[in-house]
Parts: sequence; structure tokens; C-alpha cells
Amino acid sequence: MILTIASLLFRACVVLFGTGLATFALLWNSPGDPAEAIAMARYDALLTEDVIDVVRTQAGLDQGFWRAFFAWGKGVLRLEFGVSSVTGRPVLTDLGTAALYTLPLAMGGLIIGLCLALPLAILAARLPGSFMDRLAIALASIGAAVPEFLLGLLLILLFAVHLDWLPTMGARTPAHAILPALTLALGVAAALTRIIRSGILEGRNQPFMSALQRRGIKPWALGRDHVAPHAAIPVITVFGLELAFLLEGVVVVETIFSRPGLGSFLVKAIVARDFPQVQAAVLLTALVFVVVNGAIDLIYRAVDPRIGDDHA
Amino acid sequence: MRSVLALMFASLTLCILGPIFAPYDPTTIDIPNRLSPPNNEFWLGTDRFGRDLLSRILHGAKWSLGLAFFISLISLVIGTAIGLLAALGSKWLDWVLMRTTDTFLAFPELVAAIVIAGLLDAGLWSLIFALSITGWMRYARVARGIGLSLMSRGYVVQARLAGLSSVDIARWHYLSALLPSLTVVWTGAFARAILGISSLGFLGFGVQPPAPEWGAMLLSARDYMLAEPLQMLWPALAIFISVLGINLVGDALRDSLAGGRAD
Repeated sequence: MILTIASLLFRACVVLFGTGLATFALLWNSPGDPAEAIAMARYDALLTEDVIDVVRTQAGLDQGFWRAFFAWGKGVLRLEFGVSSVTGRPVLTDLGTAALYTLPLAMGGLIIGLCLALPLAILAARLPGSFMDRLAIALASIGAAVPEFLLGLLLILLFAVHLDWLPTMGARTPAHAILPALTLALGVAAALTRIIRSGILEGRNQPFMSALQRRGIKPWALGRDHVAPHAAIPVITVFGLELAFLLEGVVVVETIFSRPGLGSFLVKAIVARDFPQVQAAVLLTALVFVVVNGAIDLIYRAVDPRIGDDHA
Repeated sequence: MRSVLALMFASLTLCILGPIFAPYDPTTIDIPNRLSPPNNEFWLGTDRFGRDLLSRILHGAKWSLGLAFFISLISLVIGTAIGLLAALGSKWLDWVLMRTTDTFLAFPELVAAIVIAGLLDAGLWSLIFALSITGWMRYARVARGIGLSLMSRGYVVQARLAGLSSVDIARWHYLSALLPSLTVVWTGAFARAILGISSLGFLGFGVQPPAPEWGAMLLSARDYMLAEPLQMLWPALAIFISVLGINLVGDALRDSLAGGRAD
């Protein structure tokens, strides 16, 4: 167990280092003079060589690549992400604000998605091949292929324009989060429905099920104690994939709904070539991803005793 | 396999014949007819510059489908090469390559592609690079897994004993054994590439206007989302239908492989 955790931690460090280095190299080699881009964004049009040079020194761009990278890395280890090279505000504060907008959206999407997928999958798995089953699979196929642009647009047209029930643009009230969360949720639900359905079917076909049935165990107890844990394992496994889907979806959905959040933070930072902001946003994404995936790995082992320690 | 051939045929036909059937030039600006609703003259209406939407979508297939096809093939080559190297090479090489794959997988692909394409020079090659470098990992995993399981098969052992070099074994025995599974992975990669190209286009980091790429069309239609929703609906529908079709082919192929009925 300790070995497993140590190997997970080591892997997490490698991933974070690799992500940091890759981002830094990309920013370093991005076209145009970054110092000039920063100066443009900060002071508008009044640019002289002196101003650009001052900005270059301020942002630490006049040193070599590795020096600048390790200087930045040292700061990161002390949780100093510096100030935005465009607005001059501390990066962590802005990133925190953005994360607070995105977290409820992503969690909401996940929870609504699970609430939609679970009953649909259970209904579908009752009788494989039935009308209900085919309907669920068809819905899941469509849901997996619908891009967020189309889903978001249709939801806006239906609930905001046609019915006038919900607000769309911005994030002033909690109600503003409903449509974006729903957009994310339908994609999550599509993937989960399929996985839960096949998990239930597979669990029901396990050889020990008929033995338990013959011993007179009630169907609902069988479902609770044997089928449900069996179906839960693949759900836990795909949780990492779902998280990736959510993080990717957030970027598009926040743009469609003009919502502030991590996605729009990242897009704005890239457009402005704001080094510290891009780095912080990318590292936060990597950190969330690594931590959640590590946790999934551990939970997975706890839930499924068949997996040994050697499968690190 | 037949459905995959049909899919490739259909998308190639659309890319080549689409522009021929398009009634208008996709980039000709016609301000008097701007934002026209669908009518007899413009079947799907016109955009903010009066460009015919049907023509733009038909021409856009070249970008959205053709480019996605190209990108999914590039990642197929990269991924298969890495996977086979890992399976056939030394233990040490295997470890390094697989940890590299894990590291690439440990980050949401589309977010990585957005960062890469956004920071590089805006252009076609940045887009292709960003989406290929983030899309090869599944191929590598599948190729390595099958490669390892083949290693102990009788005919491969025979070939090795007969003195065939690793390169020849990879070419004659591994590639044919890999083809069915890699095709399934490829359909997924193709669909994801379409979504990736259009997402990048929608965020402004992809194919640049006035090229009629579907995602870039969505971006330009976004300003009229509430007033003229049809502007956004057509390219979004085109993306949806393409992805749905490809996914269905992939599902059918996976089922037929699982049932052992693949031809």
C-alpha cells in the first residue's frame, strides 16, 4: 500500500514537472516578443524600446531559458505565482475567483448527469433489447455526439428565448448556472448511462449470482449487495475521463454562456499572452487531474479487492 | 470493415464533391443580402457578410472533415510507432515510452490542444500539431497491448527463429493483427478530431476566417445567437451529424470485433 502511494506520488510529480516544463517552453517559444505583447496590453500604444526593456526585466524574460524556468519553478514551489503581466493583479487571487465560478458548474454538471444516467441505465438494464433499452442506448449515442455548441444553443433557445424561464448570459445569480450545468450534464449522462447499463448487465451475469439466487436471497438485496458494487467499479474508472470531459467542456460552455470561470480565464490569458496566468491555470488543471486520478486509483483498490498492489 | 470503408468514402466524397455542389462561392461578400433567413435563393440563409451558409458548410467539410481525417491519421502513425517500439524494444524503452504516454494522458487533451494552438502562431500547422500531439496516446496503448500479446504467439516465434528482423516482423505480422483494433480507435480519434477542430475554431485558435471551417462559422454566428439562432444551428448540426455517424460506425465495428465476426 505504501509502495502504491509512493509510486502514485512520484508519477504525480513527474506529470506536474512535465506539464510545467512544456508550458514554459511553449510560452518561451511563442511567436513575437512576449515583452512587447505584455507592454502593449499594459500601456496601450505608447511603446518605446525603453518601456519594452523595462517590462522584459520586470517579467524576468532577459535571462536564459533554464534560469527563467527554475526561477519560476522555485516560486511555484513556494506557491508564488506572481502577478498577472497584463493587469498587475496577483494571479492566485484571480485564479481562485475563476475556480469558484467553475467548481459549482462542474459539480452541478456531474451530479445532474449522474441523476439522469442512473435511472435511465437501471430502466434500460431491466430488460435488455426492450424498447426502453434501445431508447436509452439511442439517447446515449446522440448525447455522446452532440457538441456543446449545439446543446447549449438548443437549451438557450428553449428555456431562455422560447419559454423565458432562465437567464443565459453571465453569472450574476445562481440561476445563471443552470443552463450551462445542464449543457455539461447531458454529455456526462450519455457516457455514464452506457457504462452503468453494461455494468449492471455484467454484474447480473456473474456466476455467483445464480448460486445466490438459488439460496433464496431476495432480488433487491442481490441488487444492492452484489450488482450495485459490480456496476460501481467501471463508473469509478471512467470518473477520470468524465473529469477530463468536464474540464474540456467548461472551456467551450463558459464561452457560449459568457460566464467567468477557469475556461474563460485560460482563453483570455492565452489571447493576452499573459505568462503567469497561463502557467497557473495549466498547473491547476494538471494538479486537479492528477489528484483526482490518484484518488480514483486508491478508491478503486479499496472497492475491488481483486486488484493487487502490484498493478501500480 | 465494410462500414468503415463506407464512412471513409462518404467523408471523402463530401470533401471533394461538396464544393462542386455548392451553389455560391463561400467567401463572396454580399452585404445587401446579409443575415437573410432561409429562402429559395439561399437554402440555409446567409451570414453576417451575406455569404451563403449552405455553400460555406459544403466547402467547410474540406476543413472540418478532411483536416480531422488527416490529423487522426497522423496520430495513428505516431501512436502505433510508439506502441510497437514499446512492445518490441527493451524493458527500459518500454518503461520510458509508457510513462511518457501516461504523462500525456494525465492532462485533458482538448485543454492541452487549446494551450498549444493558442500559444503558437495562429495557422494551420499549429492546429495540426496541437491536435496530433494530444491525440496519439490511445493508439500507443492499444498497439503495445496487442504487440505484447503477439510476442508469444506461435507464428511470431517461428518468424523470429527463422531470422526475420524486428522491423519485418512488425511489418508483416503485427500490422495485420493490429489493424482491426486500431480502426476502432481511429473512428474515435476521427470524431474527437472533428470536435477538437471545431472547438478550437469556435474559441478563435483554429482555422482562421474567412475559411469556412464549421467552428469558425460558429464563432462568427455567436454574436447573433439570440436574434438569428439558425446561423449557429447549421454548422453545429453539421458537426453533430458527422460525429454521430462516425461514432455509430465505430460502435458497430467494435461490436462485430467483440463477436468475432470481423471480416
